[in-house]
Amino acid sequence: MAERVFAGKLERAGFTDVWVGGHRPFGIDQAALYPLFTPEVIQVMRRTIPADHQGHVATGVIVKARKPR
Amino acid sequence: MGRDLMFQQEIKDTVQQAYAAITSGGGETVARQLYSEQELAEVPPGAVEWALGVGNPVRYAQLQPGQTVLDVGSGGGIDTILAARRVGPEGHAIGLDALEEMCERGRAHAAQAGVEGWTEFLRGEMEDIPLPGGSVDVAISNGVLNLSARKSRALAEIYRVLGPGGRICMADLTVEGELPPEVANDQSAWAG
Repeated sequence: MAERVFAGKLERAGFTDVWVGGHRPFGIDQAALYPLFTPEVIQVMRRTIPADHQGHVATGVIVKARKPR
Repeated sequence: MGRDLMFQQEIKDTVQQAYAAITSGGGETVARQLYSEQELAEVPPGAVEWALGVGNPVRYAQLQPGQTVLDVGSGGGIDTILAARRVGPEGHAIGLDALEEMCERGRAHAAQAGVEGWTEFLRGEMEDIPLPGGSVDVAISNGVLNLSARKSRALAEIYRVLGPGGRICMADLTVEGELPPEVANDQSAWAG
């Protein structure tokens, strides 16, 4: 899910004051630390994602929003 | 059942089976990337071992003593326990997880942390939260919304359980552009 899609879903749910920050790159080496990513999918990622993108496949973000009073 | 509903069910089953099958979380290596030494000292080793998040929502959530906080997709309970410490015994921390075994881990870790008196773990799904409307001050989650095949429904449920002026603070992964189809279509990538 793209960041703008995430923010849009929050707004459509009724939330206001949507804030996105705390951006952190998330790469294949980091994904490999999680048992939910099987060795097979990690291998597929290493094979199919260009080498210069493997350190930043996704972005960790913090998203905050408020329900109106 | 329509094709979309079948696909949603397939994603849900795949995610739940993947989480039920694992025997540990990301462990200390993952936890040290997300939490400070001080934060890690506030939770028992088992909760650190079961860390599966992608950020540190409690650090951003500005929790206050006395608040009711809901941790959506609480897993082993690391964020629930940190949140319980922030809201204190006059508050209430609720962990919600679709898997009973995760709820049991969360309860055990909360007891080890000494916060069980104001912390509970409920089995339930983020798309159908078993709490009354307006009963929560702050909702947090950590790497969980992306697991839902019905993200808008999950957000609507979180909106429902929050009271007026309630806040949501979520850590998650975003992806700009397209992943290679071999990755995007791999079932284990849905759970990761």
